[in-house]
Amino acid sequence: MTETTASSRTAMIEVIKVSKSYPPNVTALSDISVSIASGEIFFLIGRSGAGKTTLLKLLCNMERPSNGLIEVAGMNIHQVTGNKLAKLRQKVGVAYQDFRLLTDRTVAENIAISMEVSYKKPQIIRSRVRSLLAQLQLEDKHDILTGDLSRGEQQRVALARAVANSPTLILVDEPTGNLDATSTAQVMELLVRCSKSGATIVIATHDETLYRHSTHRVMKLHNGTIASLTSGNDQGAGATGGGGDEI
Amino acid sequence: MNFWFSVFRQTGRNLRQTWTTQFMTCLTVSLSVLIFSFFYLIYLNMLNAGDKVSDDLRLVVYLEEEPGPEMQEQLRNKITQFDQVQEIKFISKAEAYSRFAEELGDNRDVLTDMPTDFLPASIEVTPLKNLRSLNQIKLFSEYLATLPGSQKVQYGQKWVERFYYFTQLLSIVVLLSGFLLILTATFMVASTIRLTIFGRQEELELLKLVGATNNYIRTPFLLEGVLLGFMGSLLGLASLYTLFQWTLRHFSGAGFLDLFTFTFFPPEIICTIVILSIILCTAGSYASMQKFLRI
Ligand SMILES: Nc1ncnc2c1ncn2[C@@H]1O[C@H](COP(=O)(O)OP(=O)(O)OP(=O)(O)O)[C@@H](O)[C@H]1O
Ligand SMILES: [Mg+2]
Repeated sequence: MTETTASSRTAMIEVIKVSKSYPPNVTALSDISVSIASGEIFFLIGRSGAGKTTLLKLLCNMERPSNGLIEVAGMNIHQVTGNKLAKLRQKVGVAYQDFRLLTDRTVAENIAISMEVSYKKPQIIRSRVRSLLAQLQLEDKHDILTGDLSRGEQQRVALARAVANSPTLILVDEPTGNLDATSTAQVMELLVRCSKSGATIVIATHDETLYRHSTHRVMKLHNGTIASLTSGNDQGAGATGGGGDEI
Repeated sequence: MNFWFSVFRQTGRNLRQTWTTQFMTCLTVSLSVLIFSFFYLIYLNMLNAGDKVSDDLRLVVYLEEEPGPEMQEQLRNKITQFDQVQEIKFISKAEAYSRFAEELGDNRDVLTDMPTDFLPASIEVTPLKNLRSLNQIKLFSEYLATLPGSQKVQYGQKWVERFYYFTQLLSIVVLLSGFLLILTATFMVASTIRLTIFGRQEELELLKLVGATNNYIRTPFLLEGVLLGFMGSLLGLASLYTLFQWTLRHFSGAGFLDLFTFTFFPPEIICTIVILSIILCTAGSYASMQKFLRI
């Protein structure tokens, strides 16, 4: 009991007054501050171009913020370098919006990569890959090149790779864009399972069905600023606010 | 353990993906090893031959007068001032006479009317049997000519001079081909590895993103450099050995090769060449990798 409260209080992610602009003068994010607790499932929504992907890229250190500070697990991730950065990244699983799969490798090899870099035993990797594929109903794709898969299948392989190494932070960008209702449900089930085993999860999505009936926090971005941030309780208000922005 | 498993698998993938380029690079490395070791082998054998020939190599300084024991000591000091020598031998007039008489053998009666001191006294200087003293022999003879009481210095001048220039030339060729080896090994390997990196940029970027350490990314490529250096030098040396055997078989008994006994590299030198080319290739690979990792 005490453990739960402690973990929900410690912040996994601290974003403090972060701005990001791209040359020449695109402001993708401006003055974003948010704190995401360890073990939380956090939704990031907003229209296309609102800055969701940009924020995720900042969180996984693919881009550097123009201003402000980002801490993940208590570390200023943009000051970490070398092997420390590698160790940190092994603990952060990312499912990219553009998948970033190696199209000339099989599904199994793609998923294995994130475990190989942290030197997991081959048997462990093999069984983990099989179990993930089973959970996503992709068992029969084990030895197919990812280049030959459908978009929806690629999307799920990308997700499987992100969660394979049991990271403590999982960043998911548009995980259900190409999926039917059943596959979407499977994906969410998998993410919830990860969350139950302690992972913090940030999901950027357009898919209202993912968060509508949940009690998780939802942050809505609009043109790089926070349009609304609903807590688990005032869910309805956030949804209304979101509707208003979109008009 | 797992690290090496990953490294080997990754290296295997690299080799499979770009094996034609790798093969060409390997050939280039082996060709330059062949060229270098070819000249080096000849050079080493020349040094050996030089050793043998200098067995007969003596400088003879003819003196105006026979030196007394004090004078001998002085001369000895002066000679060793120039260089270490193997032997200094004073030949008195009497000794020269009896030696000459011995050489004449049955014809010694032509000497009967001659005084026993008609031959000049001399100093026989045998230089050390190494190439340096051989190379310096001309200078040495000039030096000996300035000794007090020296009349004339004799040695196998023409022959020695030619030998001297030839070995000089050869040592330059060895240096040049060594330089060529360094260039090809490092630059060819560096550019091959760069090609491989380029072909797998997407994957390497992803590896960085999922938290691969620099060593994880780098080691397979370094191993590739090691492999290229090892295979290349082995191939080069093997072809040189074949060439060497062939030459021996086809030219032995033809006369001129009998002058020298041709020998192949001793194991130490073979090891040194292999290790050197491994080091060079790995350095080339490392340089390319550093460029990539810094980006
Ligand atoms: N590398 C870049 N260079 C210039 N502008 C960029 C770059 N990346 C993103 N942007 C701009 O930043 C803004 C935010 O982009 P971002 O990708 O974060 O949007 P998004 O919310 O993920 O949209 P979507 O829902 O379509 O994925 C956009 O206007 C985009 O054009
Ligand atoms: Mg996006």
